[in-house]
Amino acid sequence: MGKQKSSYKTALDGLYHYLSGYLSISRLEFQHLLPYIEIREYDKKAKVTKEGEVERYFNIIARGLVRKYLPLKEGEQTIQLAVEGHIIHSELSFFYRTPSTSVVETIEPTVFLSISYESLEQLYRQHPKFERLGRLIITDLFVRKDHRFFDQLRKNTRERFLDYIKTHSHMLQRVPQKYIASYLNIKPETFSRLKHLMRPKKS
Amino acid sequence: MLDSLKRYISGFTSLTDEEFALMASELVIRSFDKKELLIKAGEVENYLNFLVKGLVRKYFYKGRTEIITQIAKEGEFVNSSASFLSGSPSPYLVETLEPSTFLSITRDQLEKLYEKNPRIERLGRIVITHLFLQREEWEHECLRLDTRERFLRFVENNPDLMQRVPQKYLASYLNMKPETFSRLKHLLQRPRTAAR
Repeated sequence: MGKQKSSYKTALDGLYHYLSGYLSISRLEFQHLLPYIEIREYDKKAKVTKEGEVERYFNIIARGLVRKYLPLKEGEQTIQLAVEGHIIHSELSFFYRTPSTSVVETIEPTVFLSISYESLEQLYRQHPKFERLGRLIITDLFVRKDHRFFDQLRKNTRERFLDYIKTHSHMLQRVPQKYIASYLNIKPETFSRLKHLMRPKKS
Repeated sequence: MLDSLKRYISGFTSLTDEEFALMASELVIRSFDKKELLIKAGEVENYLNFLVKGLVRKYFYKGRTEIITQIAKEGEFVNSSASFLSGSPSPYLVETLEPSTFLSITRDQLEKLYEKNPRIERLGRIVITHLFLQREEWEHECLRLDTRERFLRFVENNPDLMQRVPQKYLASYLNMKPETFSRLKHLLQRPRTAAR
């Protein structure tokens, strides 16, 4: 129990630093946020948000590894892979309050710091400073999304693969290869072949 | 001219007349002829533009090929959004297809408005969230729908653009070859039978 408490403290400290990266907030202001935050724990391979249900939460990962995918006729299309410090949820469902068309599922045991839709709205109304923080975070998410969108259109398979392994080498250790291949929109066979080509260079 | 902006905003949140007037006082009217560039690749986007009248495309060059990522019509926002929001150089060009009139605001003026009025800041957050979600939805659609389905969905939602936008631009926007676009368009012209 004591160990768990200290790990929550570490998670909340992480959250404070994460938010401070967007806007300077005092420890006191951060205290206003805490009553709205829920700590949610999941085992590995657990469905956090199912297809067809309305997303209740905005989640930041305190510890763990999570993927989001679209269930399609041809199989699961991975659209996001997220680790510690990343935000992951079914955002269309969360903001529009409509049934989710994507699935959020853990790969490793995961701890989320989450805020529900209702709590977030209440927080914005009671503390305008968090309204600004919300704007800055969504702006950052938009800019990142635009960047990924642009990359997908501009780069070929090989370039996408090389750029990803250069910038996400930590992911290669933790994420099953088939999920990374799906995320990069590369066939698993092609992914293996590209990975194989990489090896001789290392020695 | 302000009415269409007012209508757009009321879809997201309500502003009082005073708040709307405060915002309107910071806007500038900008007019462009057709085929004029609002921003070139490599420049930093300084304006957020609400399109009052006209038609605009946003695109980038992949080698020598133009890849269109947005076609905007009246009542929509268009700019190099990520550059505007991040301050980094734009990989995109924004160009008018028809003579166009915009209500525009600079980044500095917008920041000032956010400082002055929290409800305008709230509006900003909601509009950016909306842009973010549109992009997410587009990504889902590209993965979920095949070429034919995307074509049909686009035609259904934008019958007016079929008339106004050159076919090669629509094909580029939908990420399909011009030949494919022509073939799909041909399918549309078949007379509908009573059974459908």
